Amino acid sequence: MELLFNLTLNGLATGMLIFLLAAGLTLIFGLMDVLNFAHGGLFAWGAYSGIWIYSTTGSFIIGILGAILTGFLLGIITEKWIIKPVYGNHVQQILITLGLMLVLSEMLKVIWGPNQLSANPPDYLQGSWEIGGMIIIKYRVFIIFVGFLVFAGVQYLLKNTKIGLVVRAGVMNKEMVQALGINIKKVFMFVFMIGSGMAALGGVLFGPYSGVIHAGMGMEFAILAFIVVVIGGMGNFTGSVMAAILVGLSGSFMAYYVPELSLAVNMLLMAVVLIVKPQGLFGGKG
Amino acid sequence: MKSMKWIVNNRLNTIYILIAAFLILLPFVYESRNMLILLTQIFVFAILAMSYDLLLGFTGIVSFGHAMFFGIGAYSIGIFMKRFEPTMLHFIYAVGATILITAIVSFIVGLLTLRLKSHFYAMLTMALAGLFLVLAEKWRTLTFGNDGFTFRVPEVFIDRTNFYLICLAAMIATFMILKRFTNSPLGRVLQAIRENEQRTESLGYQVLHYKIAASVVSGVLAGIAGIFYAMSLRYVNTSVFAMDITLDALLMTIIGGVGTLVGAIIGAGLIEFAHDGLTELAKEHWIFERWIIFFGIIYILVVIFFPLGIVGTLKNFTWRRKKQHPVKKKENLAG
Repeated sequence: MELLFNLTLNGLATGMLIFLLAAGLTLIFGLMDVLNFAHGGLFAWGAYSGIWIYSTTGSFIIGILGAILTGFLLGIITEKWIIKPVYGNHVQQILITLGLMLVLSEMLKVIWGPNQLSANPPDYLQGSWEIGGMIIIKYRVFIIFVGFLVFAGVQYLLKNTKIGLVVRAGVMNKEMVQALGINIKKVFMFVFMIGSGMAALGGVLFGPYSGVIHAGMGMEFAILAFIVVVIGGMGNFTGSVMAAILVGLSGSFMAYYVPELSLAVNMLLMAVVLIVKPQGLFGGKG
Repeated sequence: MKSMKWIVNNRLNTIYILIAAFLILLPFVYESRNMLILLTQIFVFAILAMSYDLLLGFTGIVSFGHAMFFGIGAYSIGIFMKRFEPTMLHFIYAVGATILITAIVSFIVGLLTLRLKSHFYAMLTMALAGLFLVLAEKWRTLTFGNDGFTFRVPEVFIDRTNFYLICLAAMIATFMILKRFTNSPLGRVLQAIRENEQRTESLGYQVLHYKIAASVVSGVLAGIAGIFYAMSLRYVNTSVFAMDITLDALLMTIIGGVGTLVGAIIGAGLIEFAHDGLTELAKEHWIFERWIIFFGIIYILVVIFFPLGIVGTLKNFTWRRKKQHPVKKKENLAG
């Protein structure tokens, strides 16, 4: 029982981290038809910059804020100088975002050195609670909490604000939104920025969760995020949270019972979704 | 007009033959072990880059998991040579195994994703390559994990000069096969798909079948490149599945020029020479250890400003100058 509970908690925490990455990916894809292969790089940048700020200032909160800010900035730069010049050309977009991923992850090594950095949760998030004989690690609960907070926040933004309305309309039909006199380019920029910020947040939260960060982690998480985006349906925000939790849980359970197959199961799930329902398990735009 | 084209082609062929003759004679005239090894490496990667060009340049499919096929080839030869006696027979078995496995994998990947948007193929190949990398790390009894293993090769391949000539022959053969393939009716349809998929489909072609064919041919050739790569090192480890291999192939194709085949060879030469030079420079200043940054930046600039690459840009330029054909800006990268 305790084991099951812990595995579930672990899976949820991992799922939330993947969600932070996949949500931006799926929104950007839905709105702009751009699959951002550099998203994992933003995740790693969030982790490095956030952990660096955290270790120099000693405040985890400032670290998180710094990471989000870094994500915003990188998002704006990426959108403006990398994505925009090749807008509308799918193959070039795919190629260029991968090039950016390369530069981003190598830049990390130039700035912070090629070795991995260690990261620990702040004092108030260290240790665990014990409830009825069950040990609950505080930091995992914290990640799940933040993940749900972000989900609720973005959901609110999408459903209850004007800009959210425009974004949702843009996902359905860009041309129509533009015809109604809305500058969709500005909305693109906004969504790209938010998505990058979420990825960076995911990165900085991941640091203390795993204990170490390294430049290659962006790629590893990006692959999981792609799986999630396919399972949840490209451009489907609610689908991405469900799929992220699914992938996180299956990953954590498989890692315990059959560790060799943990990635394979998710890949298999993706393959099945691609065959049976390429528009994603949770419906939506394909 | 037709005769002009023939003369141009003929002149080009003469240049190719001269270069090939030069490369064949080189090891007998100029004795440098390092140069020989570097050139062998270039030939191997040229095969990989050409197989990549078939996908990206001729069909308009982006693969981010080409290392997977390369690695399958490398591990097949390694495992066969390690487990059994390193004889010609087992070499042939290894080639057969590579062709079989790469064909099956590329067929399945193509079947799953090529009917969808181009993102899916890129994503699935990337994820699958990651899966193969994990598999090679975890299946220790077969692959010896991260450390990899050394193996012996059949006698013919031991001598460096011999091996150099064999790799050169393999590269030339690949070039000619792909040249023929892309000029065949099937290759024409592939190029039509690259230019405009909907129109090709509405002309009655089963677009999916053609794309899968391209995927399979490309995968098998990449596997063969992997065989030669592992044999040149006589060692194989998990790095053959790494993203770096895919990126190298991508850089070579893009910088050399997509959809030209020769571009892939030139790109392979450039990148391998640059690798070599930058490794030397790394002793001078640490920034050169991070040479990938330079390649990454060049790559981004090329994609934005010279989407046709070196050969493509040159071709466009000479066409424009001769005014033989109406100037047609080839959107080779158009999706």
